[in-house]
Amino acid sequence: MSEPVSETRTPNVSFERERGVYATQVTRDVAHAVVSVGDDALRSSRILQLFRILAEANIPIFLIKMHRSAVTFAMAGADVARAEAALASAGLKAKTRHDLAIVAVRASSMRDLSGIMVAIADALYSVGARLYGTGDSHNSVQCLIDGERVQAAIQALCQKFHLEGQAAEEASLKTEGAA
Amino acid sequence: MKILVQKFGGTSVDRHEHRILAARKVIKAKEAGFQPVVVVSAIGRSGAPYATDTLIKFLKDIDPQVPPAARELDMMMACGEIISTAVFAHTLQTLGYKAIALSGGQAGIITDREFGNARIQEIRPQYILRLLEQGYIPVVCGFQGITEPSDEYEHGAITTLGRGGSDTTGSALGVALHAVAVEIYTDVDGVKTADPDLVKNARTIPVCTYEEVAEIAHQGAKVVHPRAAEIAMDHNIPLWVKSTFSDSPGTRIAGEDAPEAVRRRLTGITHTGKIVYIRLEIENAEHKSQVENEVYRMMAQAGVNIYLVTFSPTALSFAVPRNLYPVARDLLDGMVVPVGHEKPDAEGKIATYYIFKFSEGLDLAYRVQRPLLKTVEKHIHVVDVPASVIENCTMVSVIASDHRRVPGVMATIYETLTNAEIAIHQIADSEMSISCLVPEGDVERAVRLLHERLFEQ
Repeated sequence: MSEPVSETRTPNVSFERERGVYATQVTRDVAHAVVSVGDDALRSSRILQLFRILAEANIPIFLIKMHRSAVTFAMAGADVARAEAALASAGLKAKTRHDLAIVAVRASSMRDLSGIMVAIADALYSVGARLYGTGDSHNSVQCLIDGERVQAAIQALCQKFHLEGQAAEEASLKTEGAA
Repeated sequence: MKILVQKFGGTSVDRHEHRILAARKVIKAKEAGFQPVVVVSAIGRSGAPYATDTLIKFLKDIDPQVPPAARELDMMMACGEIISTAVFAHTLQTLGYKAIALSGGQAGIITDREFGNARIQEIRPQYILRLLEQGYIPVVCGFQGITEPSDEYEHGAITTLGRGGSDTTGSALGVALHAVAVEIYTDVDGVKTADPDLVKNARTIPVCTYEEVAEIAHQGAKVVHPRAAEIAMDHNIPLWVKSTFSDSPGTRIAGEDAPEAVRRRLTGITHTGKIVYIRLEIENAEHKSQVENEVYRMMAQAGVNIYLVTFSPTALSFAVPRNLYPVARDLLDGMVVPVGHEKPDAEGKIATYYIFKFSEGLDLAYRVQRPLLKTVEKHIHVVDVPASVIENCTMVSVIASDHRRVPGVMATIYETLTNAEIAIHQIADSEMSISCLVPEGDVERAVRLLHERLFEQ
């Protein structure tokens, strides 16, 4: 049997991602919409109508959240006018907000970590970046904020998560064909 | 040297007949000209005599009031893989092959000191490489490593890697050994479009990307642990998911730039989690963000992870894992968040105290706290924050690459579920998936219906 070799060492390889937040990402030119759907028996059919209308108008939506009497969602800024027109033609009232951006923080196994939300909220609050919506997945928390606050928000988040000197990745929302 | 890492899960090594089937996969690779390096999990799943859960219970049963120290718990848990490795190496020896069992430390796997959830920092593969040169089949314990050996401190404490640790060992060894591929053997023949126990028409996906498989795994499918997928992705090591019990080709997991990788729009349907959804009504929009922050802070301090966070002008909603719901409820019930006013308001009041109320105020903490605040109401507003709770939820997810660029995905999902009268309590989406929070009792129906609509029509 061979003797164990212990003298020679391979150079360090970083096998695993760091615990906690490891990157930030920005998606610019995003809009946010609040569409009233009521809280009566027709709420569900109005929500379905809303989704169908936007699908037929070839408008992808995301950060979708359901509230008691409204549905909120985000979309590419370029789609706002078409979305407003499509919804209005179906009698759905929408309030939209333009010039927003999604700032996302990325971490491995986000949902196993506690304290991420308070850290993000603290960082954004410290630079006056109001949160219009959030989304979270296993590896990211996405925050919809005013586009003009992006730089300050990224700076604050990088400071909070010790990512100083690291540039945020840029993402885009180019639309493709319907599903 | 064409090194092939082959990892076998608990059900692949739980019985002699299964170990023989697993050993045949190793021998087949060896005879095809590869140098196999085997990684094994502990024998069997929960309840089996040497399964990890059984070993933990053995230690905890000594005195249920005294939790075992993390270091000793790791040492105990590591025994499962050590037994499995010795048994598997001996199985190969009985079949006429030179095999040697190695603990994580003997295989050169160095981790940080986070017992129970250690991260691999370094792998020193020289010993394995020498064994391969000498014709051995190294059989390495999954799920474990050791801390950096030190003459001053400790000559390598045994650590375990946490959930999915054996898959992680497989991927990391693949990187360290510059393997041609890592094969993860399990009891299904690849990554499926849905849980085959729920959907009989679930298909095996021949090729998918690292991102897709990481998303599928995170959203509940137990084919390969996301940590292993991330390591393979970051180091571009080809990963396969195969069945020990069949000769099906399995699923190849590759980077987006691999020629055979298909950037599909819809990958699969998954389900995961026992979840409780909490909604807090916060009337004063001006103070809402401060109150929310305190909720986040309190949850963080208690180690309660929250997700599916939803804002509206007058409410904050979020989900917590069901096992942590009692903690969350105990924390929030009767909790008071004071918000000072910059100057006395029209009524001359200098602050607003928000007090959280569950069960219409019948819970103990609120009942005790609320009357105490009566004394300050002359100077301070006291506002109830009623909480409504939806228990027994689970998440059903559609894994859909790039759905944010494709209109209509949400409409299809919503229509499918609501037509079947399945309530959708909330929605969450990421770049790779759309998840719906549905009643736990409807989860099987939801998975079947979505699979039928999205994959069978």
